Amino acid sequence: MKKVFALALGILTAIGGFVDIGDLVTNALVGSRFGMSLAWVTVLGVGGICVFAEMSGRVVALSGRATFDIVRERLGPRVGLVNLIGSMAVTLLTYVAEIGGIALALELGTSVWEFFWIPFIAALVWFVLWRAKFDLIENVFGILGLALIVFAVALWQLGPDWASLWQQASTAAKPTNEAWPSYWYYAVGLFGAAMTPYEVFFFSSGGVEDGWTAESLPTMRGNVLIGFPLGGLLSLSIAATATVVLLPASIQVDTLAQVALPVTVALGKLGFAFALLGFFAATFGAACETGLSVGYSICQYFGWQWGKFVRPRQAARFHLVILLSTVLAAAVLLTTVDPILVTEFSVVFSAIALPLTYLPILIVANDRQYMGERTNGRFANALGTGYLVIVLVASIAAIPLMIWTKMGTT
Amino acid sequence: MLQLFDRQILDPDGRMVAKVDDVEVEERPDGRLAVTALLTGPGALGPRLGGALGGISSRAWARLTGKDSSDSNPIDYSLVADIGSAITLSVSRAAVGVDGFEVWARTRIIAALPGAGKDPQ
Repeated sequence: MKKVFALALGILTAIGGFVDIGDLVTNALVGSRFGMSLAWVTVLGVGGICVFAEMSGRVVALSGRATFDIVRERLGPRVGLVNLIGSMAVTLLTYVAEIGGIALALELGTSVWEFFWIPFIAALVWFVLWRAKFDLIENVFGILGLALIVFAVALWQLGPDWASLWQQASTAAKPTNEAWPSYWYYAVGLFGAAMTPYEVFFFSSGGVEDGWTAESLPTMRGNVLIGFPLGGLLSLSIAATATVVLLPASIQVDTLAQVALPVTVALGKLGFAFALLGFFAATFGAACETGLSVGYSICQYFGWQWGKFVRPRQAARFHLVILLSTVLAAAVLLTTVDPILVTEFSVVFSAIALPLTYLPILIVANDRQYMGERTNGRFANALGTGYLVIVLVASIAAIPLMIWTKMGTT
Repeated sequence: MLQLFDRQILDPDGRMVAKVDDVEVEERPDGRLAVTALLTGPGALGPRLGGALGGISSRAWARLTGKDSSDSNPIDYSLVADIGSAITLSVSRAAVGVDGFEVWARTRIIAALPGAGKDPQ
């Protein structure tokens, strides 16, 4: 019975924790301009993260070592360092975006300018990372994140033409007033938002925090293969509500208020309240994850003690890195940069950094030394290699598309 | 021996000590090479990184500590108890004493903050 409960909790947490500020903004933006014609990208991205999360979860369950730890060992210190710098840069950028997202959520709820929230929120995020237990962080924000189910409820309430939504999604029917380069630019962004690099570091380091062993494999797989796709459905709901409400009215998504608008239209104030709670939980949870991931990746490269499973005194460099990252993130946001803009950059740069993150996982998952008998089978390798090709294409196309379409504005 | 490079070093309680950044070897009378110590820290990693970055880190480390690269935070090989997916030592982390930066960070910054010595809740 306890195992069933643990599995259920894990799945619910995975669903609620799936969405972050990148998913919120990008899905709403895409829905408001392209309808459901980019839904296939979200499905593809969710599939990708399932494949690689399962692999890295298997690696940590069988070897007791987190992904980044093994990356340096397997690829050498030089390649490992390039990997570290690239991944850390993107994760830091995402951290900035997430903290900005929390500020936007609070601004939406209180009408106090998001700028004033930033120091307070940064301090709060740091404090949670300093004192709270790992499981507490995961479970609280994961469960609260389930408030985002209000988007699915709103979609139902809006009574859309399901056949037309399905047709848009299945035929990738790009609206005629949008150009193909913009379409592909947002495809890359949406892909980067679904397959965020930090997710994998966090997942595998979390396996060490939680002390996974070979016995944890079924639960881990359940969380990934059931939880993540259901979380992906939340992303699709956000895009769909934007398609139904924002697209016909030609409303552009520049603020979090517009992301929530379809829910308010469908369900009024109560719906809006749930959306706000969902935004806050998703961004705060993701901020904790990205903050921890910056610490995890640098400590795992250098071999320093890391983790929430020891007292801060015993992982001084880990907590120092988190403290400095939080101060840096707050400083960037205090330049009054628009957090939505930071988010758009972070999803595109996530797409660029994807090969760096995923190639090592595929290599390690095939290594007998860490995996024993449970190395990748042919199916896992076929999927992994296939995704690696897609990820490479997205990574290479990202910057040219960004420049050509002026970040999707043409 | 190649298997030792970049591997995580743990102490008997599972606490992380460092990574094997380099190894010190000695030629035995029969011509074979034997590992005498594991070297850790930027002084040891620098030469392996190579290039400008490696040079900078080795020289910076040498300046700050006054030691030579080959003397970079060595852990005597006799202290190695087990080699699995990580290298486990037979003595605790504190006894090995290679964590200068950690101690500095702990005493100067982390210990000053409230709750540093408490278990997370």
